[in-house]
Amino acid sequence: MKNRINRYLIEFAINSILRAKGKNIFIFVLFTLLTTLLMSIFLITNSIKYELQTTVDALPQIIVQKLKAGRHYDIDNSVADEILTIAGVEQATPRVWGYYYFANAGVNFSIVGIDQYEEQYTKALSQVVEKFDFEKLHKEKSMIVGEGVQKVLTKNYYNDYFNFIKPDGNLKKIYLAGVFKGDTQLESNDIILMSKEDVREIFDMPKDKATDIVVKVANPKEIPTIASKIKLLYPDTRIITNNDLKVSYQNIFDYKSGVFLALFVVAIFTFFMIIYDKTSGLSSEEKREIGILKAVGWRVDDILKEKFYEAFIISFFAYLIGVLIAFWYVYILKAPILRDIFVGYSQLKTTFELPFVFDIQLLFLVFFLSVPIYLAATIIPSWRTATLDVDEVIR
Amino acid sequence: MLKKLSLIMLLMISILNAEPFSKKATVEPVLVQDGAKKMWCSVCGMNLKMFYKTSYISGDKQYCSIRCLVADMANNPTKLEDIKVIDASTQKPIIAKDAFFVMGSDVKGTMSKVSKLAFATKDEAENFVKKHGGKITDFDTVLKEAKSSLKQDSAMVSMKKKKMMYPMGKKLLAKKCQSDKIDPNKFHAINELKSEIKNQNICADINEKQLQAVALYLWDVKREKPKSNTTENIKLTKKDKCPVCGMFVYKYPKWASQIVYKDGNRLSFDGVKDMMKFYFDRTQYGKFETLTPENIKEILVTDYYSQKTIDGKKAYYVIGSDVTGPMGNELIPFELESDAKTFMSDHHGKNIVSFDKITQKEVLKLDK
Repeated sequence: MKNRINRYLIEFAINSILRAKGKNIFIFVLFTLLTTLLMSIFLITNSIKYELQTTVDALPQIIVQKLKAGRHYDIDNSVADEILTIAGVEQATPRVWGYYYFANAGVNFSIVGIDQYEEQYTKALSQVVEKFDFEKLHKEKSMIVGEGVQKVLTKNYYNDYFNFIKPDGNLKKIYLAGVFKGDTQLESNDIILMSKEDVREIFDMPKDKATDIVVKVANPKEIPTIASKIKLLYPDTRIITNNDLKVSYQNIFDYKSGVFLALFVVAIFTFFMIIYDKTSGLSSEEKREIGILKAVGWRVDDILKEKFYEAFIISFFAYLIGVLIAFWYVYILKAPILRDIFVGYSQLKTTFELPFVFDIQLLFLVFFLSVPIYLAATIIPSWRTATLDVDEVIR
Repeated sequence: MLKKLSLIMLLMISILNAEPFSKKATVEPVLVQDGAKKMWCSVCGMNLKMFYKTSYISGDKQYCSIRCLVADMANNPTKLEDIKVIDASTQKPIIAKDAFFVMGSDVKGTMSKVSKLAFATKDEAENFVKKHGGKITDFDTVLKEAKSSLKQDSAMVSMKKKKMMYPMGKKLLAKKCQSDKIDPNKFHAINELKSEIKNQNICADINEKQLQAVALYLWDVKREKPKSNTTENIKLTKKDKCPVCGMFVYKYPKWASQIVYKDGNRLSFDGVKDMMKFYFDRTQYGKFETLTPENIKEILVTDYYSQKTIDGKKAYYVIGSDVTGPMGNELIPFELESDAKTFMSDHHGKNIVSFDKITQKEVLKLDK
């Protein structure tokens, strides 16, 4: 009997909430807003972190670029053979790719050449190669495009083909054979895939040259050693390791999350202000209520239970609704105002969307940041009053 | 008038400079091998027409380069005086002994870092040097150079084959070829295999580069009998704990090593150091009396560079390097001694030992 939830107490608690309607609605709205804000901040940072991580993971471990007069220049294919002899290198693949400016839409496409019999350097690409036969595509003069590219092309009435302008001014007509979807938006949005031969033709690149060389290392611990060895072998190259890229992506992200942190601190601070206000004392009316209940014969633990129910009902429902609003705001409305803080991030690529990431830990984090604190703030002053003598309270 | 002339001169010079040197035959190539296989080098299988200007004729065989000639010298003993080389300018076979060679020009070597091109007359050679650089030498010097760099050149070629060509060949074979129709064991040389693939149309719609990849894969990988004693891979479950330090091994797959016993027992360690500690003094870590070293079926370790499972008893271990594993200083395992040597110089290792040379004292010293 002792541990059972007392229905009458709950009923009393609900009635008590309804009695002080104005005050409780105010608390409820404030609480909801707070959880919404907290949850949205966490959801956005989490989503961007995820997007960032998957982008960084998909990057090649080492990229070797030839520099000539301080500019990026085509590199000899044979450099890859030499790099293969370095101990610890698993693969060295010459890449053929480049940016193609589509003036009508004012956007850049990344055209990537693919040889399907080579080992592919990202997971997304190997999946594409399994799905499409690039030799066949070459014969049929076709290409595979990312989702963003397809949208741009359809907008400009290129529904089944696109005319690339070659450096000599001639047109190269290539048909659309399919759409490919990468793990992340950043990776796949602006990409066009076609056979290496076609890319060479569009960019007028000789057969024995490549844009750059990507190196795969079996043991990531060896990346710095191998990078310095390549630099020694070819002093005219720039070696970019995935760690370098990670750092530059991370820098942008950290800067932005600093802004978020400021927002977060303000939100939390406001919350504690409200809590402090509550704990500093009960209104005389509330004190009198507790006194009367005691006089009527309620025990101290009954009063505390009732107060607990009251606080829990308000805070938990506010929490639930706050979380739901946050999910709706971030993933359905795409976080209209808060997202603008990340305008700088989008400079990396033209568009990106927040990927849906559900992390149960986040729910718990926000829950423990709000609900128990509110509960404590209600029960502690009630307990203080309830332990006083009745006549002292009512008088 | 003078201006015009100088302009034309300038134009001519720039055209001359812009024209890259190609090793491909521009006339009908002289191919001495008989039958359909004559298109390809008998050692490496490369297309002779593509590398015609660096090719050699010795006896009834033709090679794409002096590297293949040198590599095949033991099997094909010919008098040095009889070896012929293709003149890089007239593209006719000449006696190599009498030719003038240009070594180290800006033309890339065939299967070698340094190119060696032959000319019938000294004037031609000097002309070539003016355009492409390099030094004029005789056949003996070139031969000596080729012999001394053979090991290095072969290493480069074999790396490329192993890491790029075999995987490519394997994929091509599976996708384009009727692999059951060809048995690489039937052929004496790779060029015979290639001509068979091409003439019997075993691979549909294949270009020269792809043909080379398929042929190399069939010749080098498939022809050798599949090894029966290949080591199995290290398999880790989330429950495997290192009996020495008590850590979960699945968190450190880069360092995992295992001892497999004849009775089916399998112990995992998060590093060779802990495995060796256990190997030398197993009773210290629990009731392992029955797991004597005599009962060991196999020892599996993870190669540091390739991250593949290798036989621990045949591996080479580097001691005292600056690379640390989950339990600190480690013995770092390598399949190849050359890899171990490279690693030792890169990471300041103290010495390389084989499995039977590892001592308990040395292992315990790593923890100090």
